[in-house]
Amino acid sequence: MNFEDVEDRDGLRLSWNVWPGSRIEATRTVVPIAALYTPLKQRDDLPPVLYEPVTCKPPCRAILNPYCQIDVRGKLWICPFCLQRNGFPPHYKDISNTNLPAELLPKYTTIEYTLARPAPIPPIFLFVVDTCLDENDLKALRDALVVSLSLLPPYALVGLITFGTMTQVHELGFAECNKSYVFRGSKDYTPKQVQDMLGLGARPAAPRPGQPMNTLHGAARFLLPVQQVEFQLTGILEQLVRDPWPVANDKRALRCTGVAINVAVSLLESSFANSGARIMLFAGGPCTEGPGMVVSNELREPIRSHHDIDRDSVKHFKRAIKFYEGQAKRAANNGHAIDLFAGCLDQVGLLEMKSLSNFTNGVMVLTDSFATSIFKQSFLRVFAKDSEGNLEMGFNATFDVQTTKELRISGLIGHAVSGNKKSPSVGETEIGIGQTSAWKICSLTPHTAEAVYFEVVTPAGTPIVQGSRGMIQFVTHYQHSSGAMRLRVTTIARQFAEAGALSIPSSFDQEAAAVLMARIAVFKAEIDDSPDVLRWLDRMLIRLCQKFAEYRKEDPTSFRLSDNFSIYPQFMFHLRRSQFLQVFNNSPDETAFYRHILNEEDVNNSLIMIQPTLMSYTFDTPSQPVLLDSVSIKPDVILLLDTFFHILIFHGETIAQWRKAGYQEQEGYENFKELLEVPVTDAQDLLVDRFPLPRYIVCDQGGSQARFLLSKLNPSTTHLSTGMYDGAGGGEGAAIFTDDVSLQVFMEHLKRLAVGASAS
Amino acid sequence: GFYNPTAMGQGPGVFSAGGFVAPAQPSAYQQQQPQVGALTDQFSQMGLQPGYGQKQFALHTVNLVGAFLDPRELVGPPPEIRLPPGACVSQEVTANADYTYQRCTMNAIPTTNSLLGKAKLPFGLILTPHRSLKEGDAAVQVVTDQVIARCRRCRTYINPYVTFIDGGARWKCCMCNVSNEVPQMFDWDQATNTPGDRWKRAELNHGVVDFVAPTEYMVRPPQAPVYVFLLDVSQHGVASGMLATATRTILESLDRLPNTDNRTKVAIIGFDTALHFFCVPSGSTESTLLVVSDLDDVFLPKPTDLLINLTEARAGLETLLGRLSDMFVDTHSVGSALGPALQAGFKLISSLGGKLIVCTSTLPTLGTGALKAREDPKVFGTSKESSLLQAADAFYKTFAIECSRSQVSVDMFLFSAQYQDVATLSCLPHYTAGNTFFYPAFNAARSEDAIKFAHEFGEILASPICLEAVIRVRASRGLRMSSFHGNFFVRSTDLLSLPAVPLDQSYAIEVQIEENITSPFVVFQTAVLHTTSDGERRIRVVTSAYPTTSNISEVYASADQVAIATLLANKAVERSISSKLEDARDALSNKMVDILTTYKNTMTSSGGGASAALSIADNMKFLPLLTLGLLKHVGIRQSTQIPSDLRAYAQALLTTLPSQLLIPYLHPTFYGLHNMPPECGTIGEQGVIMPPPLPLTSERLERHGLYLIEDGQTMFLWVGRDAVPQLIMDVFELPAYEQLRTGKATLPLLENVFSQRVNAVINKTREMRRGPYWPHLYIVKEDGEAAMRLWALSMLVQDRGAENLPSYPQFLTSLKERVNGSSYT
Ligand SMILES: [Zn+2]
Ligand SMILES: [Zn+2]
Repeated sequence: MNFEDVEDRDGLRLSWNVWPGSRIEATRTVVPIAALYTPLKQRDDLPPVLYEPVTCKPPCRAILNPYCQIDVRGKLWICPFCLQRNGFPPHYKDISNTNLPAELLPKYTTIEYTLARPAPIPPIFLFVVDTCLDENDLKALRDALVVSLSLLPPYALVGLITFGTMTQVHELGFAECNKSYVFRGSKDYTPKQVQDMLGLGARPAAPRPGQPMNTLHGAARFLLPVQQVEFQLTGILEQLVRDPWPVANDKRALRCTGVAINVAVSLLESSFANSGARIMLFAGGPCTEGPGMVVSNELREPIRSHHDIDRDSVKHFKRAIKFYEGQAKRAANNGHAIDLFAGCLDQVGLLEMKSLSNFTNGVMVLTDSFATSIFKQSFLRVFAKDSEGNLEMGFNATFDVQTTKELRISGLIGHAVSGNKKSPSVGETEIGIGQTSAWKICSLTPHTAEAVYFEVVTPAGTPIVQGSRGMIQFVTHYQHSSGAMRLRVTTIARQFAEAGALSIPSSFDQEAAAVLMARIAVFKAEIDDSPDVLRWLDRMLIRLCQKFAEYRKEDPTSFRLSDNFSIYPQFMFHLRRSQFLQVFNNSPDETAFYRHILNEEDVNNSLIMIQPTLMSYTFDTPSQPVLLDSVSIKPDVILLLDTFFHILIFHGETIAQWRKAGYQEQEGYENFKELLEVPVTDAQDLLVDRFPLPRYIVCDQGGSQARFLLSKLNPSTTHLSTGMYDGAGGGEGAAIFTDDVSLQVFMEHLKRLAVGASAS
Repeated sequence: GFYNPTAMGQGPGVFSAGGFVAPAQPSAYQQQQPQVGALTDQFSQMGLQPGYGQKQFALHTVNLVGAFLDPRELVGPPPEIRLPPGACVSQEVTANADYTYQRCTMNAIPTTNSLLGKAKLPFGLILTPHRSLKEGDAAVQVVTDQVIARCRRCRTYINPYVTFIDGGARWKCCMCNVSNEVPQMFDWDQATNTPGDRWKRAELNHGVVDFVAPTEYMVRPPQAPVYVFLLDVSQHGVASGMLATATRTILESLDRLPNTDNRTKVAIIGFDTALHFFCVPSGSTESTLLVVSDLDDVFLPKPTDLLINLTEARAGLETLLGRLSDMFVDTHSVGSALGPALQAGFKLISSLGGKLIVCTSTLPTLGTGALKAREDPKVFGTSKESSLLQAADAFYKTFAIECSRSQVSVDMFLFSAQYQDVATLSCLPHYTAGNTFFYPAFNAARSEDAIKFAHEFGEILASPICLEAVIRVRASRGLRMSSFHGNFFVRSTDLLSLPAVPLDQSYAIEVQIEENITSPFVVFQTAVLHTTSDGERRIRVVTSAYPTTSNISEVYASADQVAIATLLANKAVERSISSKLEDARDALSNKMVDILTTYKNTMTSSGGGASAALSIADNMKFLPLLTLGLLKHVGIRQSTQIPSDLRAYAQALLTTLPSQLLIPYLHPTFYGLHNMPPECGTIGEQGVIMPPPLPLTSERLERHGLYLIEDGQTMFLWVGRDAVPQLIMDVFELPAYEQLRTGKATLPLLENVFSQRVNAVINKTREMRRGPYWPHLYIVKEDGEAAMRLWALSMLVQDRGAENLPSYPQFLTSLKERVNGSSYT
C-alpha cells in the first residue's frame, strides 16, 4: 500500500494500515491506530456531486459508500456500521451492477455532495482591528484590509470593530456619517448587555403607514454585503487613526482586546449563530485593559515569560486564559472562527488568546509588524481562491466519525471543539478531545488536518474471521464559501490481523505515526510539565522498539529496525528538541503559535516542522538533501534550511567571501552566479503554498543570523559528543536524554534500553 | 362706536425703550419733590437723629376702597432716595445705582429692628446685576487701570459714599468706618501717564461700575465660553420637530454666540436610550458619531474632537448641524437617558466650566436621574400638592451642586406633551444659575411654536454671559443678608456661586437689622466677580445708598411696592415648596392684613377703631392688587386643575424674572384695540405709541371689541362676538367672525392701517421688555372654546376668578374686615 496514494485520494494517513485484532494486541503496538485526516483535501478530479447522500436509518445515519453490500434486485443496501438493511430511495430504482451511483464505485471512497438547501446567510467577515499601532503599522494594516475587501465574495457580509482604550463597533449601514458604538475597555459586558447596547434585541414596529423603511435594523446595520458597503468601509479604513487617548512614557497603550473580542463574539452570536463567520483579530500588542488583560499598562511590569508562568507568578495569566477560553467556547459553539494576526516585535498575549483560534480553527499568524510582507502575504493568502473563484475556505463545519463495532473513537487532536455526540462509536480511552464522535470545526481550509485516535475493543481470544476488516467513515458537513452546504464523506476499510502477524508492522506509516504522536505529545505538554512529556515520549519509543526491532537481548549492537521503522526514532529525537516541546528558547507566544500550526498541518508539513529539511548546493554536483547535522556545514556549500517557519539560505565561509568580493557580477563566474541563484529559486518554490509565510533569512557562516540554522542541527561534532553522557540515566529510561545530546548518542541509549542492556 | 379712552381723562401712554415713560399726568411722588416745607419742619422739630437736614418723605394716604388704580403708575420708578447732603462724594445722579440693577423694598431704612417689625414691611433687596442694555440705556462704566481700592477690614469696594480724610490720603469706609490708604496709583491716569483727577474716577461717580480685575481675582486664567448642547434625539424629540428646530437655531446662531478671540468651544451630544457623541475634527467637514449605550458609569468615548473650537471646526459643525436631525429621522428609540447625558456633558467640560444646554422632550426614563410620572391629579388643590413641586430625585440637586463647584451652568429647554416633571428638572438651572424654558406640547409643525422656541433659544445663545461668578452683598454695619432667593448656589453664608450669570435674571435677598443703625444713611454694595464672555475677569460693583429713618411714616412713604411684590413672590414660591401652597397664600394675605392694620393704626385717624376705608400709602396702593395677582397666579393659586409642570414652570419664572417682567406677569396688561386713539400703533418720538392700559376687569370688554391681554409670557387677542365684519376683515382677512379660529396664531400683516397698528402693538409688546421671551399670541373668541376663554379671562385679576377666587373688590372687603376685626382683639 502506498501511503501517499491513499493520502492523495482520501486526504488521510493512518499510523497503522493493518490493525491488530484485539484490544490487548493493539495496546502492545504502542502507537495507537490513528488517522491524520484532511477533510477538504483538494481533489480536482472529484467535483462534488449535485445530489443528496443516501443515509442509513437513524440513529446511525451512516452514508452509503463503496464498502456497503448492495442488493440491486431488492433495491437494498446493508449498512456496514449498524448492519441494518436500508431500501434505496425511489430515484435509485434503475440501479444495477452496471449502473451504480458514484458513491458506490470503488474510487469514490471519498465523495462530496452539494446539498439542496443552501446556507441562509452568506459568509461573514468581521474585522477586529487594534488601533494602538504606530502610524506605519496602522497604514500597512489599513492598506491590507482595503485590499482584502476586493478579495471577498461580493455577497459576503463584512463588519468592522476597532479597539484601543475602548472598543468601537462601526455601523456600516449608517449613511449620514461615520457612526460607531463605543464600549468601555475596562468592563466585562455580558452578551445580553452587548446586544442591548448595540440595539440588536429591539425589533422595530412595522413602519408607519406611508413611510418607507429606509434604515436597517439589528445586526444588519453592522454587517453588510461587501458590494454594498465597500465604498463606505474603505473610507472608514482609510480614515482610521491611532487610538486618540494619550499614553504616558512609562505606560503601555490601553488596549482592550478582550472587550473587543467579547463584543465581536456577542454581535455574531445574537443574529448569526450557526452561520459561517470569521472574526479576524489584528493585534499590535498585548491586552492591557479590562477582561483578558495579559499585562498591565505599566511598562515596569514586563510581559510574562515561560519562566514566570512556570513559577505561577503571572498575575493576570489564569484569569486571561479563562476569559479567552470562555469567548472561544461561545464562538466555537456558534460556528464562528476567530483568526489571530499578531503584528508586534514583542508578545501580544497569543498564549492567553490561543484558545480563540485553537477552538475555532481560526488562523494564527505571528509577525513582527503589520508592515512586514510576512503579514501582508499571509493575510492575503487567507483569501486564496480555487479555480472557480471561490474562497478556499469552508465554514461552520461539523465533523462526524463513525466506526464499525471493533473500533471505538478515543478522541481528536486538532482545532475543534466537542460536538458532544455520544454515539456507540465513542470509546473509553480518551486522547485529545474525547467522549464524542462529532466535533465542531468552525473553519476549514484544504490544509486543515485533524488527528483522530481509535482503540480496538475486541476482547483478546476472539477469533478473527478471515478477511475481516474494520471501517471508519468521516463525514464533514460544512458551508462552502459559495453559499452552498456541502457534505464530504470519506470511508475507509482496513484488515484486522492476528497478533504477531507480519502484516501489522509492515503496514506501519512511520511518518504519519510520528506526526500523530507529536500531536499527542503537544496535547500533553499543554497540560503537563514538559519533562513528563519527554519521559512519556521516550517510554513510548523504547516500547515500540522493543516490540518491533530485531535484536538479541542485552546486545545493543544487534539492534536493527526494518525500513518502515528506521527513521521513526530520528523523528522522535528531533521532536524532543523541537520548539514544540522545548519552550525555553521561545516566548510563550511563539510556543502557542508553533503548536497551533503543528495541529493544523498534514503529515508532510508537520514532518518539516519536526525535522527540518536541509539541502546542500555546491559546484559540479546537483543539489541534494543532506543530514540535518553540523557535519553538513562546509565552507564551499550553500545550505537551504526549511523549518516550515523559517526558510534560511546559508552561505559557507568561502561562498560568502566570494559573494562579498562580487565575483558573481564578473565575467567568467557565471557558474557562481548560478549557484547563488538556485537555492533562492528553490526557496521561492517552497513559499508557494506555505501558510503562514515563513520568515526568510539569508545569512553567512559566522554571521549572527546563522544561529537559526545551528539551533536545528544535530550537534554531532561538538566537544560534548563524547563521554559526556556515559554516566547518565539508567533504570527505567527516565531522564536519560538531555537536551543537547546528539542523535548518535540518543540512538545508542535507545538501543541499549530497547534491548534491555544495563547502562555501562 | 369705538370706545373713547379720553373719557378717562388720560392721554395715551408713550412707550420708551426702558419701559413706560411717565405719562403726561405726573405721578404722585413727582408732585412732592419741590415741596418739602411743612413736613420737613415737623420732622426737624422732633429732633430725630438720623435724617436731619435731608428732604423728608411726605406720606399720602389713599383709601383703596373705590380707588381707581392707573396701571401706568406701576411701571414708574420707586419713591425717590433722599440722601442727606454730603452723603456722596459725587454730584452725579448716577452715583446711586439705578433701581433696575438694585432696588430695596424701602427707600428709607428703619434704624431699628423694632421699627421694622412695627411697620410690617418686608425688608429686602432685589438685584438684577447683569441687566441687558436696551437702546438708549447708558453703558456700565469700566475701570480699566486695575487700581481697585477696597476696605482692608470689610473688603468693600471704594464707592461714592466713602469719605476722604487726611487731606485725601486716606478714605473712610462707608460700611465699617475703618480708614484706609488711598492706593498710590489712584490719582494717576495710566492712559496718558499724567496725574489724574480723582473726582472723575468712575467708581466715585457711578453706582454701577465694572472693574477690570487683576490676576489676584483669578484662580485660573479666565474661562472661554463653552456650550455643550444635550439634544433629545428620541422619537419624541424628532417627531415634535424639536430636534430640527434646535439644530437649525444653533446653526443660525453660530455667528451670534459670544466668541471673542475665537476661544469659544462647542459640543453636541444627543441622547435617547443611549448617548450620541458627535466628533468634529477641526478643519474637517465630516463628523463622526460615537454611540455609548453603557449608561451605568458614563464615560467619554474619545479624548479629542468632542469639545471643539467653534472657529476651527466651524465647517464641520455647520455640516453636522445641517444634517443632524436627518440622522434620526427614522428613529424608533423611545426613552431618555437625560441623567447620563448630563453626566457626560459634565465630564466633558468639568475642568473648564461652561454651559450645558439641554433640549428634552420627555421625562427622563433611563440611568441616573430617571424619574417616574408621579403626577396625580387627585392631589391637585390638596395639601399634598406641594410634594409635586419638590424635586423627586436627589440626583438633580447633588449633580447641580457638583456642576456649580466646577463652574458649569445648566439651561433646560423642556418640550414634553406629557408630564415631564419640570419641578425636578428645573432644579438644575436653579442651583447652577441657569434658565428653564418650557414649551408644553411643542409641535414645530405649528410655525408659532417653532418661532417662539427659535427666538428664545437664539436669544439665550446670543446673549453675553458672565461666567464663573460669585456674588457677595455687603451692607453697612447693623444690616445682614439673611436669606437668598433665585438661581444660584449659596456657597458659604453670604457668598452666592453662579457658574454663569444669565442676562436679566433677578435675585431677591432678605435683609435683617441686627443692631440699631446710628448713621444717617446706609449702603448696600453688590459685587459680582465674573468672567465676561470676552474672557476678561471683572467685578461689577453695584452700590446703593439709602437714608435711614426712625419714623414709621417715612418708612411707608418710601416703600417700593414693586420690590415688595417681587420679594413676596419669591417668598411665596419658597413657602409653597418647603411647606404648602395654602401656607404660602395665607402668608401673603396675612402680610397684607398686617401691613394694612398697622398702617391704619399708626397712620390714620381711625386708629384702632373700625373704618369704612381701607387706607394705604399712595406709593403702596398697588400692593393689594399685586398680592391678589400673586394669589391668583398659576404658580400659587388655589386650584384643582393646574398640572404641576405648569405650576413649577410658573414658579421658576416667579423667582427669576426681573421686576420689569414680573409685574406684568402678576398684573397683566389689557388694551382695547378697536377703539384705541388714532396715534396708537404708530411710531412716535419714542417708538411705537401704545394704547392706554385698562383696569384688569371684564367689565371693560365690549361685545364688539378687540382686546389685547398680555402678561409678558402669553398674549390673548380677544374678539368680541359682535365684532363688525370690517374689523375681522381688516385684522384677520376673514369675511366674518364665524370664520375665525381660536388658538395659537400668527396675525397677518395686511394692507390696511388698522392691521398695521395692531401688529405694531403686538410686536412692541414682544420687544419692549428685557429678557428673551417671545410670547405666543392666542386668538380668543368671546363665545369660543371655553378653556381658552377661561385662560384669557384668568388674566383679568380684578374679576372674580374660577374656583371661587375673589374679585379685587371682594379681596379688599375681606382685607378690610380682617383689618377692622383684628383691631378689636
Ligand atoms: Zn447504519
Ligand atoms: Zn469697611
